[in-house]
Amino acid sequence: MESDLANVRLIARLDIKGPNLIKGVHLEGLRVIGDPQEYARRYYEQCADELIYIDIVASLYGRSKLTEIVRRTAYDVFVPMTVGGGVRSVDDVRDLLRAGADKVAINTAAVRRPKLITEVARRFGSQCMVLSIEAKQQGPQQWEVYTDCGRERSGVDAIEWARRGVSLGAGEILVTSIDREGTRKGFDIDLTRAISQTVSVPVIASGGYGEPGHLRCVVDAGADAVAVADALHYDRTTLPQLRSAALASGIPVRRI
Amino acid sequence: MNKYPLRREIDLAPFRKEPAETTRYGLPLQVGFCRRCVISNQRPNSAVEYAHTKDSRKQTINFDVEGVCDACRMAEQKHGSIDWSEREARLRELCDRHRRADGSYDCIVPGSGGKDSFYAAHVLKYKYGMHPLTVTWAPHIYTEWGWRNFQSWIHAGFDNFLCTPNGRVHRLVTRLAVENLFHPFQPFIFGQKSLAPKMALLHRIPLVFYGESEAEYGNPIADTQSAKRDWSYFTAQDKTGIYLGGTSVADLQESFGVDGHELQPYLPANPEEIERQKVEVHYLGYYLKWHPQSCYYYSVEHGGFQASPERTPGTYSKYNSIDDRIDDFHYYTTFIKFGIGRATYDAAQEIRSGDITRDEGVALARRFDGEFPERFAEEIFRYLSIPEKEYPQASRMFEQPMIDRAYFDNLADSFRSPHLWKYDQGEWKLRHAVWHGE
Repeated sequence: MESDLANVRLIARLDIKGPNLIKGVHLEGLRVIGDPQEYARRYYEQCADELIYIDIVASLYGRSKLTEIVRRTAYDVFVPMTVGGGVRSVDDVRDLLRAGADKVAINTAAVRRPKLITEVARRFGSQCMVLSIEAKQQGPQQWEVYTDCGRERSGVDAIEWARRGVSLGAGEILVTSIDREGTRKGFDIDLTRAISQTVSVPVIASGGYGEPGHLRCVVDAGADAVAVADALHYDRTTLPQLRSAALASGIPVRRI
Repeated sequence: MNKYPLRREIDLAPFRKEPAETTRYGLPLQVGFCRRCVISNQRPNSAVEYAHTKDSRKQTINFDVEGVCDACRMAEQKHGSIDWSEREARLRELCDRHRRADGSYDCIVPGSGGKDSFYAAHVLKYKYGMHPLTVTWAPHIYTEWGWRNFQSWIHAGFDNFLCTPNGRVHRLVTRLAVENLFHPFQPFIFGQKSLAPKMALLHRIPLVFYGESEAEYGNPIADTQSAKRDWSYFTAQDKTGIYLGGTSVADLQESFGVDGHELQPYLPANPEEIERQKVEVHYLGYYLKWHPQSCYYYSVEHGGFQASPERTPGTYSKYNSIDDRIDDFHYYTTFIKFGIGRATYDAAQEIRSGDITRDEGVALARRFDGEFPERFAEEIFRYLSIPEKEYPQASRMFEQPMIDRAYFDNLADSFRSPHLWKYDQGEWKLRHAVWHGE
């Protein structure tokens, strides 16, 4: 399971709501897909480099985190897991890490109280503090940060927020394009480029994967990792197919 | 006829009484919530808006002995006993009967280009081989994304007639609907119901398809025993019985200076003509198992439909009823009058469709119901204002022609019902909410 740091990571993203794996379009119309554990196991068996587990409506519903579901998944899934959704305090982070998460992703709570990023990074290390950014384009080269599952505007500029998040201690950035999410139209290339040029930490591009050609574009734009959800959940592709496609287009990925 | 006053005095005594003794609008005194979804028994059924005045009494959604609402019972049938393949066969038969191969239109699909009308027109054309003409009754004020979605609909392959009522008259009727009924959305409903049958007559296309049935939201289940819509929604036997914004046609002309021709867009189709041309109005939702969320996916996939860029105030959703800037206020007024906000309506539908759980619906209603819609408030207040310069006669009917937040809030308070609201230490509070628990 060794992985070369220079390799581009292929990540299966699982958005969770209550007991279910769900998927939306533009983070809306959330459709129940199935049992997250079953899908997580499948992606693990297909050699995903990592999994992202996010309860994307935790903040919307004011619910607490995914501890239980993470504990169950960690039992038979052995790849790094980033977990997010409703993480509001250092204690929440500790609980998730104890349950088996390797990293936590924070969006809404960090926007409301940026110091949380520093608190988490100081206590557990930057490597496990992933700043999750839901961004929506507002104009040319301009994106706004949203919270609460792509529903609330924050007034914060996404690029500026990425820079600030890293200076506060974030060790990785997960960028989700609300415009592309669930559409299969390809990643938001400009957004990915703007953020990866701004920060030195790894950037995970999320939202919009539809066909193998999309991988090359987003990696060229500077993505260190690519998160795929829709295409995997709906069986439009598999991780081995993604991996071969990546290799075929000259993207360095872990060889299985 | 008296002027509309600057300020309405509100007797607070009934709002301090425990327990409440009085209700308004004919609403049931005992407030209850459906055990399956989150709708309350205060939800009024759709009614014939032409007859709606400030004294109208509402029929409300029926709850059965198990405390389950008619809309949930309807959903039960939808997911259970209804034979959808038989229904679809009937749709094919209906289409076969009306389909024209001579290069003319064979059905009318009214809609906004939102997810539901997008789906309706698209399946009729591309799956059932019909030749639809789409017709649209304009929103009060388009949102940018609503306009884009409307364009996307047309560009997905449809001819469209957009009917936009005279802005001056529409504003006046809307103001009156707010003053008399606290119902800013009512003027839209007139056109929504009457435009398609009138266009059917005009273009001699005797088949109209609406999308979902109102029974899916709690109108009496008996309504759904037939695919055809009740003509009372669309026609009127007697024009002297017509009220717009709770104001008689005669009064609109005499006191408010509206000319007869300016009321044309609001008036219903002539029932004799409807009879003569044998116009049929059907609900597509009767024939096809309707699922709003699936319509969203379908319209994104086939037409690039876009959700709104932010949630609608008063709720969590981004994909339904997003094209009219006045809509935020529509649901704010239902919250004031019936204690039912937009999140409750949205959540109830999504619970029935199996998209969210009741617990989630309760949490969403608690968080978002009744939120004051700040985002377009200034613009809506300007829209509702009747300045003398633009309305030399009508403005004299209002002690304060211009609307501001204080005026609107006072008006809102005058529409609260004591059985729903209490006034406690300077604050309005709901006496009953679904999140208070059983």
